[in-house]
Amino acid sequence: MAYVAARGGEQAIQNAEALALRHLQTVRPEDIAWVEEHLSLLVDRVMGEGSLYAPQLAALALAQSGGDLAEAVLLLRAYRSTQPRIALAQPVTDASLTTVRRVSAAFKDLPGGQHLGPTLDYSHRTLRLELLNGTALQLPQVQQHPHPAPRSAPGIAGWLRQDGLLGTWPDSPSTELPDITRDPLTYPAPRGARLQSLARAETGGLLALGYSNMVGYSGVHPTVAEVRLAHTEVLLTHPVTGALFSAGRARVSRAEILAPLHSETTGLSLGMCGTLGWNETKLIAGGVLDLAMDTPNVHPALKEEFVLNHTESVEASGFCLHFKLPHYVTFASELDRLRSAGTALPSEEVTS
Amino acid sequence: MKLADLTHARTDYNYAFLDEHAKREVRRALLKAVAVPGYQVPYASREVPMARGWGTGGLQVTLSIIGESSRLKVIDQGADDSVNAANLRRFVARMTGVQTTTDALEATVIQSRHRIPEEELQTGQVLVLQVPLPDPFSYVEPSRSLARELHADSDYALLWLRLYEDLTLHGEVLTGADHPVLVQGHYVMAPSPIPRYDLAALHQAHHLTLLSAGREKRLYAVPPYTDVLPLAFDDVPFQIERQQGWVCQQSGAQHGFMNEVPQEDGRSYVLSDTGYLEKLLRQKRGEPAIIGARRKSQQDQPGSAL
Repeated sequence: MAYVAARGGEQAIQNAEALALRHLQTVRPEDIAWVEEHLSLLVDRVMGEGSLYAPQLAALALAQSGGDLAEAVLLLRAYRSTQPRIALAQPVTDASLTTVRRVSAAFKDLPGGQHLGPTLDYSHRTLRLELLNGTALQLPQVQQHPHPAPRSAPGIAGWLRQDGLLGTWPDSPSTELPDITRDPLTYPAPRGARLQSLARAETGGLLALGYSNMVGYSGVHPTVAEVRLAHTEVLLTHPVTGALFSAGRARVSRAEILAPLHSETTGLSLGMCGTLGWNETKLIAGGVLDLAMDTPNVHPALKEEFVLNHTESVEASGFCLHFKLPHYVTFASELDRLRSAGTALPSEEVTS
Repeated sequence: MKLADLTHARTDYNYAFLDEHAKREVRRALLKAVAVPGYQVPYASREVPMARGWGTGGLQVTLSIIGESSRLKVIDQGADDSVNAANLRRFVARMTGVQTTTDALEATVIQSRHRIPEEELQTGQVLVLQVPLPDPFSYVEPSRSLARELHADSDYALLWLRLYEDLTLHGEVLTGADHPVLVQGHYVMAPSPIPRYDLAALHQAHHLTLLSAGREKRLYAVPPYTDVLPLAFDDVPFQIERQQGWVCQQSGAQHGFMNEVPQEDGRSYVLSDTGYLEKLLRQKRGEPAIIGARRKSQQDQPGSAL
């Protein structure tokens, strides 16, 4: 198929798309539902990076893209950008979260308790090969605890603040919420904009940069105060009656990370990362980076501008892939300079 | 007036895809950009159904200024039928129903990547250039916050230093495409990766040029009749690509920017502007073709003074 043809480029791209979408010919609506139910953590990752809570659409995006994560995120973002912003929901508080998993590395036990919830952290990573032989898995029954965990748990940051280990909340919290989908990010970014940016950052990118900090590049020596997976109601104010009502329920997750940043006023600093969906690796890496960015003389690759700009999934993947596009005009311009400056290697003798 | 008069039937997508708020924001930013030539205006840059880096900035500008009476031309490397140009044109046409053309003279809006058409554009025409890296500092100072400060201070020493280093190390300025330009004696601007040959088409032009970087969320403009001069030292003349003696294999033309096409037994040359080439070929066959004026001579463009 012609890459740049005198005519026919349009037909070429249509055929190329048809080739790539052949896998969709046999997809049924129940397959999308299967993806949504069985690959829920993948769906969560796409929703988090797509900054749109819509499990069904995320599952569709995954199916449509053949599982290409960056492509699925782009599909979701491009859909999101056509949707109006109708209202601001009520803030989610610790007390309003229906918490299903909550662990703290900072204390053995703490108000609200430690609750493992659903996790593969302590599973043996062996492939369940019996599934390939057509044998159904024998899974142990989940045993009910005689005393069910409380529905919600208070955050540990409040306790640390009472104890004077953590700085106090600002007297007048900012009421102006930034929206990075409506205003371009400028630096230094307002805290709300930074947290939004982290929330939809590319998971692998945050992991790579966060990991570099953890192993020593301007290391902040983090302690995980809390990782929490929860459900939240999305509470809106009715525009006519003024009554609060729930527009739906969403999976959300958050990590709070503690580190001594040697600031003069407070003993500890709190890093935070919260996302739509349950994305534990991203939370911890993001929370650590939130702290690292505020470290004096931080490594250049961990500065706020560097981290936020380069973990933007849609922009990074799009720009990377754009190098596939024709560049023969710019390349010609470059060749001209190399030939002119005489820096080109002497042409090879043809020996045959 | 009835409430029904104020509503309209639900549509899957708004005219020209972007919602009206998004378009208004882009238009406001464009006005500012035209008022301050060469200054990079930040804008929200919505996600569009194309990958970032594939013309989303240019596309948002095109979608915001296009209307029912517009005629659209989209090119990539000068070619109307390059795959991504075809895709962008197909998208805008689908979302607006606007007429498209390959003729640079007929078009009211020309969205382009890496080239400016050979025929001189006229008053009323708008050239929309897709921009990968809007800041000329990005090659020497990657921090955008710092680059903004340098622009504010008109401190372009780093850019001059880059040219000087090339000269001392290689005896030549090595910038290929995207050579920085001084706009109306104030801001230094990245002209997008157009060849140096094309820079003269921005200087004191009849048409309006809008440049937009979707990924970087910046847009800027060169209004008509604005000075656009490549950065160059007084005593080292600015050089365009050397294509003297190149003859277009298809049309026989000996002017215009050409692609070098490797052949098994050497190389051939062909005009990069396919819309122009098409018209030259039509003329050659004795068919009617209206060919526009050639642009101002590229050879005698002055460089900017230090």
